[in-house]
Formats: sequence, C-alpha cells, structure tokens
Amino acid sequence: MKEKNKDVLVIGAGIAGIEASLMLSKADRKVHLIEKTSYTGGTTIKFEEVFSNMECSTCMVAPRQQELLQDKNINLITLGNVEEVKGSVGDFTVKIHKKARYVDMNNCIGCNACFEPCPVSLKNEFEEGLSERKAIYVPCAGALPNVPMIDTDNCLRFKGKKCTACQEACMFEAIDYNQKDEKLDLKIGAIVVATGFSLIDTENLSNYSYGKIDNVYTSMEFERLYASNGPTDGKIVLKDGKSPKNVAIIHCVGRDKKGYCSSVCCMYSLKFNHYLKSKIPDIDIKEFYTDLCIPGKSHQKFYEKMKETKVDLIRFSEIEVAKQGKDTVVKYSKNGGKKNVLPFDMIILAPAIEPKSDSSKLANTLGITTDEYGFFKEENPYVSSVLSSKPGVFIVGCAQGAKNIQDSVSQANAAVGKILSLT
Amino acid sequence: MERKIGVYICECGPNISEKIDIDKVIDAISPYEDVSVVEKFKLLCSADGKKFLEEQIKKNKLTHLVVAACSPKEHEKTFMEVCENAELNPYLFQLANIREQCAWITEDKNEATKKAIRLIKAAIGRVRYHSSLEKIEIDSIPDVLVIGGGIAGIEASLQLARPDRKVYLVEKTSSLGGLVKNFEKTFLGMKPVSDIVNEKIHEIEKNENIKVFTDSEVEEAIGFFGNFEVNIKRTNEETEPVELSVGAVILATGATLFNPEKNPEYGYGKFDNVLTSLDFEKMNLTGKILLKDGTTPKSVSIIHCVGRKDKEYCSEICCMYSLKFIRYLKDKLPNISVQNFYSDLVIPGKTDQKFYEETKEKNVDFIRSSNISVAKKGNQLNINYTDENNNKKSLLTDMIILSPALEPTNDASKIAEITGVSRDDEGFFAEEHEKLNPISTSTEGIYIVGCAKGPKNISDTIVQAEAASGKILSSLIPGRKLEPEVKTSYISESFCIGCKTCLSVCSYGAIIFDEAKKVSVVNEVICRGCGNCVAACPSGAATIKHFKFNQLYQELREAVK
Repeated sequence: MKEKNKDVLVIGAGIAGIEASLMLSKADRKVHLIEKTSYTGGTTIKFEEVFSNMECSTCMVAPRQQELLQDKNINLITLGNVEEVKGSVGDFTVKIHKKARYVDMNNCIGCNACFEPCPVSLKNEFEEGLSERKAIYVPCAGALPNVPMIDTDNCLRFKGKKCTACQEACMFEAIDYNQKDEKLDLKIGAIVVATGFSLIDTENLSNYSYGKIDNVYTSMEFERLYASNGPTDGKIVLKDGKSPKNVAIIHCVGRDKKGYCSSVCCMYSLKFNHYLKSKIPDIDIKEFYTDLCIPGKSHQKFYEKMKETKVDLIRFSEIEVAKQGKDTVVKYSKNGGKKNVLPFDMIILAPAIEPKSDSSKLANTLGITTDEYGFFKEENPYVSSVLSSKPGVFIVGCAQGAKNIQDSVSQANAAVGKILSLT
Repeated sequence: MERKIGVYICECGPNISEKIDIDKVIDAISPYEDVSVVEKFKLLCSADGKKFLEEQIKKNKLTHLVVAACSPKEHEKTFMEVCENAELNPYLFQLANIREQCAWITEDKNEATKKAIRLIKAAIGRVRYHSSLEKIEIDSIPDVLVIGGGIAGIEASLQLARPDRKVYLVEKTSSLGGLVKNFEKTFLGMKPVSDIVNEKIHEIEKNENIKVFTDSEVEEAIGFFGNFEVNIKRTNEETEPVELSVGAVILATGATLFNPEKNPEYGYGKFDNVLTSLDFEKMNLTGKILLKDGTTPKSVSIIHCVGRKDKEYCSEICCMYSLKFIRYLKDKLPNISVQNFYSDLVIPGKTDQKFYEETKEKNVDFIRSSNISVAKKGNQLNINYTDENNNKKSLLTDMIILSPALEPTNDASKIAEITGVSRDDEGFFAEEHEKLNPISTSTEGIYIVGCAKGPKNISDTIVQAEAASGKILSSLIPGRKLEPEVKTSYISESFCIGCKTCLSVCSYGAIIFDEAKKVSVVNEVICRGCGNCVAACPSGAATIKHFKFNQLYQELREAVK
C-alpha cells in the first residue's frame, strides 16, 4: 500500500484555521493554510473586545497571527481559492488558484508609503463600507501579514491607464505589476474546512428599514464603529457626527427566516451595551429580545453585570423600524398585544449568522454535504461534529454552524485530534 | 572576560533613515564602554542583512549584540536565529525599537535622533548584563491518565490509545458510561443512547492499550507535563494503590444535578410524583411511565430552570432535554397532556429550534412563568405560578418533572486539590483561557473536558474530548523530548524569608515550599516565566532570568540619564 500523505490543507485563516494550523505544525505536520482574503485573523479581528471578560480581541489574536507567519511548517497562501479536490483520505490532490498580490511579500516592510499617492478611493469592505481605502491597501491598521495588495478591479493601471504612483512611492522595490496569478498543485492527506460565516442580508428584511433609514446599523458595522482601529477611531457617532443619546439593540433579526437561533447574538448584544456605556455613560439603551439565550457557566454573570448598568430589556414578538415624522422609531408588541412606539437616535441590528455565500460551491468542490441551512453537515453529531460526510475532510467553526470563539477553537482542536489519530 | 558589543543600526529604507540622523547616532554610540563596532545597514532583516550580521559577529568576535531596528514583535526571533547561526548565545542579544517607538511617532528629526541614542544606550546598558541561557531537554512519557469513565472519558481514551501510547481510564463507579447510560435517547435525532455508548464501551474493553480501573479513585497526581506520578486506589477493597507514570491527565469527571430539596417550593422529596429529570430518565428507561400508585399519569408538567437562581448560570441543556421528555411522553402515552413552565427558551445552534418546532406541534403548552410553587391538592399536584402578563394562576397536574441545574460533582474539589487545577466561581474546573485555550488548564498537561468544566450537551462533550486528545497528540509525541521555558524564575535560598507569598501568586503550581529549609523552591520545568513571584516577593529573593533586577535597572538608567 502507498504511504499515506501526512500534510494537511486548512481552508480559512480565521481563529479556527489558525488554531488548527499551529497545532498541526507543533506535531511536525506540514500545513498549507489557504485564505481567500489578503490577511489572517478572520472575523475575530474585527471585534474590539470579546465577551465575557471584555478582553481586547486583536491583542488576543495577534500573537497567534504572528506565530503563524513565523512558523516554518506552515505555508500561508493568501488570496487563494480551492478549485479542485481529488482523491481520498491520505491521498488528496488539490488545485489552488492564488491571485497575485502585486506586492512582493519578501521586499515589503509594511511602511504603508504606497497608499497615500494612490489616486483611487473606494469603500473599505473590512470596515463594512464605513470608511475609504485606496486601490493598494491593507484592510485595517495592524493587519497581518502587514503587506498591502492591489485591487486590480479598481487600480487605474490595471484598467489601462499609465499610473505608477504606488511603485514610485515604494523604496523597497516591493511593487511588482508583473506578478502573475499562480496555479498550485498540492498533495495532502487531510483537509480542515474553517471558512467562517456571514450575516444575513438585512436589506432583504424590510421591517427593519436597513439601508433606508440613517443610523440603522448591523452588529458588524457597530463593531467597527467602536473599534479603535476602525473608521471613527472608536468614536460612536451618528451620521451627522453627533453622539447618540438613545440606542435600540434588536435581537433575533432574521431568525424567523432562518429557522434557528444563532447562539452568539444575545451575548454580543449585551457586550454592545458595555461598549455604549463605556463611551457614553448617560446613554439610554433598550435591548429588544425574544428569549434570552445565555447558556453556560460564565455568561449569566456577564448579563447580571450588564443589568446593573440599567439597560432596559424588552421582550417582543413583533417588531418594526420606521420613520415617524423626523424620528426613527421602533414599533413593537408582544403576542399580538398593544403596539408600543419608541423613538431612537441609533438602532443596532443583531442579524442571524448564515453560511458564506460560496459555501455550497466549496462543498461541491470538496465533495461534502451541507445541511438544510447551507452549513457544512456533520456526518453524525454523536460520532463527532467535526467529521464531514467525506473521510479526511473535517469541518470546524461557524462554517459547521453558528458558535462562539471558544467552541470554534475547541472544534479546531478536535479536528487536529482526529487527524493526528488517523495514523 | 572582555566584552565586545556590536551595535547595528537598520535604516529600514527611508523608514528610519529619513527620521533619524543615523550618522549622528553612530558618533554618539561609538565611544561607549565595551562597544567595539557600530555600523548601519539598509535592511537588516533582508537575506543580505542577516548574512552581513552573521559575518560581523564572527569577524569581530562579538560577545554581545545590539540591533536597533523595528519592534521585537517583528524581528526579535529573526535576529536571535542569526545569533545562533553565528554561534553566539541568542540571549546575549538585545533589540532596540527605534522604528515603531521612535521614527514613526516622533515628528522632529533632532528629537527622534536623541531618542534613538537613548534607546540604543539603554539596550547596550542592558545587554552588558545579559547571560547565556541554555535550552534544556527532558524526556517525556506519552501515556495518559483519563479520570472519569463517562462519554467524554471514553471518547478521549479511544482516540488516544495506540501501541506507543497507553491510556489509563479511572472510573469511580463500577461501570463505564457515566450519566448518559441512564438516557433512552439523545435529543438530537432521538437516537438510542445505548447504540452510541455500548459499542464504545465494547471497543474500550477489547483495546489492549487501554487499562480500565473501575471502582477506583486517583489519590495523588504530582509532577509536570510529560512526567506525572499518579496513584490509583480501589475504593471497595483494601489494596495497595497502583503507581503509574503518565505524561498528561484528562479530567472528565462530569457533573451532577442540583438537589431540588434546597428549593422546597417545588415539593421535591415532600410530595409523591415530583421527579428530577434524572429520576424521569431512569423511569422512562424501564419502559413504564407510572405514578406512585401504579396508574398512568394523564397530565405531566415539566418545570425548567430549577435552581438556576441559586447557581446563577443557565445549564444549557435543560430546555432541550425537556423537549425530549415531551417526545418520550407522547411516544409512550399519546393522549397525555404536557405543560412546560419555562423562563427563556435556550435552543442555540442550527438543529435545536427545528426540534422545538416539531415538538410544539404535538399539542404541548409552553407557559412562560415565574414564582412557581407546588402544593398537593387531592390526588394531584397544584402548580401556582405568575404568567407573562403578571397574572397569578394555577394548574393541576398528575406528575411534575423538575429540570435542575447542573453543578460540579462532589469530588471536584478533591480532584482540583490533587491535580492543582483551579476552579471557577461556580466550582467547575477553570480553563487556562476562556476563548483561546478552552481545554487546557493553568497546569500544563492537564486538560478538562465535558461537564466537569461547565454544563454541555453530548455532542459538545465529544468535541472537547477529541480536542483534549488533539492537544496531547500534538504536544506529547512518543520519543520526542520536551523543551521547557528558558526564561524561568528562581528563588534565592539565602534571601527567602519563607513567607509563601509566591506560592499564592503562581498560577502554574511551579513553586513548592521546602519545609525542612523553610524556603520556596521553583520547579524550573513547570515555571513559565510570568514573573508574578518576582513582583510579589517582599524580600527580593525571587528573580527571573533575562529580566533580572540589574538588567532592568541598567536599561532604565541609560534611558533616563
């Protein structure tokens, strides 16, 4: 029999993918960590603080990101996409498309001198469109690897103009317009899928008026508004620059449509309460919820602490955000009862967690199944929730279902356990 | 020995050279005591730069190295590797951060240059007092002790055992299976539990790399990651304890139910036909759901969150198993009327809500309520409660099932004491880091899984068992030596006054007290160099290598001079 390949492909460099890669490397396994974006850290690095001990999230993750970059067993492939997977456990062949960054990772020292002269300005996706970036950019201060990429859809040069502004600004000959996309063929023995999640598109949920009324934010936008490396340097402000006097946080946005509870929203909504009170102590906050889902040993304590800061918790069963005259109001009622109306300066929505839009395509490529909601499906949760329908392919983190950081890390640990016990 | 300190300043392209007058820095630094060479280079972290440094160290026979460049986060490791390649002990090196903490933030070039000089002088002052630190290697034992023979312990044992790794599974009762063997079905998919558990127990029994100790308890576990000495004692007979050596320990000791007699308003222990969830699981497993008088109940009420107020946490699984009870009841007694008294429905995750919706269709009442009390009324039980709209109401029922909080087992404190693992406010074993190290404890090599570290369902328990195996498989490899932290602390025997302050601040159990000499002693293999003991020691007896008082003092002195 042919000797089994021990190398591992990890898809997704968020908190779960990083954890799995570092552990595998520790066991002397060669790891190919492929990441769709230009940076590591996933969604976790968008948070300023994490519940329930309110630790700084970027400070928590950065040492691991740094360790990852310096780990000689880990081959980090950014701007990568899995195109084809063939074979079976112990003997997979994978085709990867690696987009050119157009910035040399070895020469660039991360000084950012190339951004300023770039004449193109665009909405920064990392900042949920709340700030602008250039056509050559890193998504946020402190991104790792700290090497920019060129957005070829918008760079003037790649649209046929003769701009070389970034190249002229670079003192290290790091900008290389001649870089080419690469096709990589990898031979590996196992695959860990850690591709994360998206939030449900709130614009399609008309009762929340998201995108129609100013100052209605999604939870992810609000995370960036509070982030010290975010678009407002952490200032919580309304569109007109004033600070809000009262805020509504609405839980369970899109839950009816999805048909499941997203596990983390109650807790992060309580965290938002802390965000708001710490920056604007006099602010009036109302949390609109259906059932308070704060399972586990440490979460209720956090809730009790938040309650002491005099947050109003209002249970609803029907809710709507609308304009009433000049005011933005929340209209709500309980079990078909009397409708109440309250005005707010700012409204934060906690939308349901859903699979990434390209997850069904990836499932096809990998030859694994998805459940009725589109998350990667575990073969049998009583055997192990990290085993997909295909031997040798493991599913971890929010790509398998909505969960918090701790449970994502546990699943990453578990997938590594499964892989290392294979042989 | 004569010191020969080499100082190398990185221009970092324009990043440092445009903001700092490097030639002026070189002039200022060169006459400094012990400094034998000062040079600049355009980019020291580049391949050329590293080669240049390596050659310089060798050519100039340097005894110490200072590099003035970027943040240690970026390239400290890089330059330590250069030292190793040049056969200079990497701890005889100091990095001065003149980019992030100087060039990038100081507008005025003159000011920046002055600051850079200070930072480099501080690094020289410090490095002069550095000493070589040598890595040590210790042998490790790959075998594992698993405490607790429930689903978590079983799962972990099966995943870890192989010819070069023995597993010792210790269970305090007479058989494996833990709490789940009392359950007929699981709530996810309503699968028979016996299918899941029995097969695994069978696998354990025939696995020659797993040794099972039933009716046994761990009496002692001392040592450190890679080398623990443990004593296992049979509880039901007078025998000598079994002594074993293992490299890692998994605590999978499970949880127990809050005793509802502590909340007398529920009538548990006072009235017939008031059961706990576990009582009901056991009754259901016999196949017959009956009242005390042998008749079949016509109505059953399930009360959630019993003891939650006392415990101050949500036990995570009660809503779901209460829904499962409805299925049990409706399967066996299709005409039965069932009410659920609950506060908030906790059904997180992608599968639970569907189970709830399917269960709701079976004509069940869900009553959001508070202030519940139970009284006897004729042959029945009367539940008084306050409903959602603050109205006081009551309801008659034949049987009541209480869903009590999960709490740590009685022996959790003993196990914590034996193993040195800390517990949280709730009495469960505490994680090393709630988010990033949820399976590890502050004692390296001891892992916590399942309900022993907090309430959780079977699926999550299995994941944690696999996670602990993953941690062990990736770090405790048969035949591989372990490399403990080099920058550890030590306590001077002559300065120690025996006050034991250090013992109370050490999170890793690395300090023991020598009763004969009345002094604290650091086990350098366990110490992770956090420095807590050094900060706390009132007599200045504790020192941490590479952060010695004199090293810090000299660095500071030069910086502020």
